[in-house]
Amino acid sequence: MTEPARLPTRQLLQPDLPAFDTRGVEPALREALAELLLTMADDEFVLGFWDSEWTGIAPLLEEDVAFSSLAQDEIGHARVWYEMLAQLTGSDADEIAFGRQAEEYRHARLLDHPRTDWAFSIARRWLYDTADSVRLAGLTRSSFAPLAEVVAKVRREERYHLLHMDAWLRRLAGHPGEPRDRLEGALTTLRSDALSVFAPLDGEATLIAAGVLDAPIAELADRWRSVASGVLSELGLPALAEGLPPLDGRSRAEPSESFRWLWSEFTTVRRLEEGVTW
Amino acid sequence: MSTDDSTRPLDQPAPPQPATPPASGRREELGRLGDGARTDVFEVFRQEKDGDPMRHAGNVVAPDIELATHYAREFYSRRQESVRLWVVPRTEIADLSDPDLLQPPLDRSFKKPGGYVMRDKLEVAKRRAKAATKPKIGHPQ
Repeated sequence: MTEPARLPTRQLLQPDLPAFDTRGVEPALREALAELLLTMADDEFVLGFWDSEWTGIAPLLEEDVAFSSLAQDEIGHARVWYEMLAQLTGSDADEIAFGRQAEEYRHARLLDHPRTDWAFSIARRWLYDTADSVRLAGLTRSSFAPLAEVVAKVRREERYHLLHMDAWLRRLAGHPGEPRDRLEGALTTLRSDALSVFAPLDGEATLIAAGVLDAPIAELADRWRSVASGVLSELGLPALAEGLPPLDGRSRAEPSESFRWLWSEFTTVRRLEEGVTW
Repeated sequence: MSTDDSTRPLDQPAPPQPATPPASGRREELGRLGDGARTDVFEVFRQEKDGDPMRHAGNVVAPDIELATHYAREFYSRRQESVRLWVVPRTEIADLSDPDLLQPPLDRSFKKPGGYVMRDKLEVAKRRAKAATKPKIGHPQ
């Protein structure tokens, strides 16, 4: 069966996304890639929206600008992944990003928690950024060239996100009393959900066989645990949970109350009038 | 189109009630800096492109040099407008503004290069330089 060629109509609007021919990708791999891209896009998208909630109320003005900029970066990364997914599956990036019901999002459970307090947002972001950097490292030699190309760019931005988060983690950990207490509380709340970033994917075996992913996701989880645990134990902070990543770390029959609220926020304008061209 | 429920099409889900109400201000409980927090001013210099001089860009307020560096990056290069930044604690800058040292009251016009007519001398020098570009073997000048 041959499919009609699809013109890269959005190419001019999306300079970060390399053009690629979707016809060369066999259906099983396409499905597996689509699943991987959706989870990565949803992670970045949801984290970006949660952290944008700090705009205007961060602890100091400079941090307000910086943290908002980081949040915007994540939404920018989500945009590239959604665009790639749309090109792969012949759909529309905006439709995927804003057109789904709350229970259809595939972000990790770590990102179901609300913004909460500053220490909580720092703890969550640090856990996510360290996990994301391990995941991206596992994709750098991906046989799917467009993915490898974008991963290389995204990693360069995630590097300073990580530096920024590390500075805050150490800062809060180093101030006994309220800052450290709140940080410990947040890490205790998140210690098991952090593993959900590495929840297994249905198409994992296909991705490994095709050389997209360099190891099983459970192995990525181990790599992450050794990196993150090193820092946490150095600072005497609560350790990460033991065990394998939860099977249902990304699928949910019912979204959390807080995510349902966030979804209603980020789809507000979109839902004003269906199908309109903005 | 209104967001009022009475005009919302029936096929659209009702917006759920907020589970997490938006916070109200910078001074609220969640985001405050804390009693022991201290911030300093850091001056930021930026280089727009390779070879340009470092120019004063502005300053940031931060609790330490590490965060100051992150903030400088966000304030002065998040749109890729710099290739290099210098972040300097203001307390480390020697400030010199004494008018006796910088604007002495006596006439100093004799220290300025003005007053010399350079035009004719420049013409001669240019001619000489042009003649010298024709190389003579064994005589670099």
